[in-house]
Amino acid sequence: MNCRDWEERLALYAGGDLGAPERAAVERHLGECAGCQVFLSGVTEGLRILKEAHTEQPAEAHFAAVRARVLAQVRREQRPWWRKGWVYGLAGVAAAVLVVIALRPRPVPAPPPAPRVAVSERPPAPLPVKERVAVPGRRGALRAGLPYRRRVRPAEPVIEPAKPLVVKLVTDDPNVVIYWITDTRGDLK
Amino acid sequence: MKALAFLAAVATMDHPEDRAGVIEAAKAGDLAAFEQLMRQYERLVLVTALRLLGSLEDAQDASQEVFLKLYRNLGKVQASASISGWLYRVTANACHDLRRRRPASVPVEDAGELASGEADPQQRTAEKERRRALELSLRMLSEKERAALVLRDLEGLSTEEVARTLGSSEATVRSQISKARVKVKGFVERYFGRRV
Repeated sequence: MNCRDWEERLALYAGGDLGAPERAAVERHLGECAGCQVFLSGVTEGLRILKEAHTEQPAEAHFAAVRARVLAQVRREQRPWWRKGWVYGLAGVAAAVLVVIALRPRPVPAPPPAPRVAVSERPPAPLPVKERVAVPGRRGALRAGLPYRRRVRPAEPVIEPAKPLVVKLVTDDPNVVIYWITDTRGDLK
Repeated sequence: MKALAFLAAVATMDHPEDRAGVIEAAKAGDLAAFEQLMRQYERLVLVTALRLLGSLEDAQDASQEVFLKLYRNLGKVQASASISGWLYRVTANACHDLRRRRPASVPVEDAGELASGEADPQQRTAEKERRRALELSLRMLSEKERAALVLRDLEGLSTEEVARTLGSSEATVRSQISKARVKVKGFVERYFGRRV
């Protein structure tokens, strides 16, 4: 074991951090090794210089500055809620006003007057609708076991062009007249 | 004279009963009582923070956080066995958090300015040199080595107390302390240009 291996133990010995057995071993080694004695002396001196420097205090003004900042913050935290909450109180009042406005009962509008209807032309009678019989296709006939006959489309009925129909709706208000323009088929135009 | 008056004011809190009374008053919102509590422990907090951070401005910020935490946790502190132990732990954590939030700042030359200006010039020069050696040697240590050395060798805590404060095992703390002392020895020899 060389002196390098003793360095950590010597450093602990210098600060009184070794137990009794380890302390005894170090002291035995120190009795035999001049190099380790010098090393120990260096560690002890270094610690002495640091401890002396550490006893010097910062100026009182630095401590006072910290106290002042802490006390200012503590005073802010101690402020009663009603002093801190004026902003929240104002927001609460504003919210209450908005709620009142939103919940205010709205006046029910009067129902519109029923329009009087005047028909200017009677619509023609509707065209008869031919009933279409379902004729099975090829597959359906084969499934049902029926003879298959080729489907013949029935002839399209001839529809005469529709005549326009004008319906005039008269209301109670003389200034309001509704014209409903349609044709005989009922399509709006 | 001022120092004697200060010590007299602080000495009233040496008894646990007196301290309990001050803490009770501070909990009830008595700012004068809380200020008295701060005066009792401000040296412990600010100087430890200064050694851990290397900058007076950062140390003041960390100290402010520590005392605000003390104010908000007076009940917990009152129940704990040792206010000093609680404060060391909170100070170490506050310094660690501050260092993570901020890059290391350049230390001010007069960060450790003496309270008294009555020393003769030669003594002042010697003190300035020792202070500089302290700042530079701590700066070259790792964060954990620095914390272990400051608490053990500068603040005088036992190895067990240091381990509890830093949340480490005693074996780890002993290893950190021994490495730190070896590094400090080498630096001091180079700084003062001599083999001791």
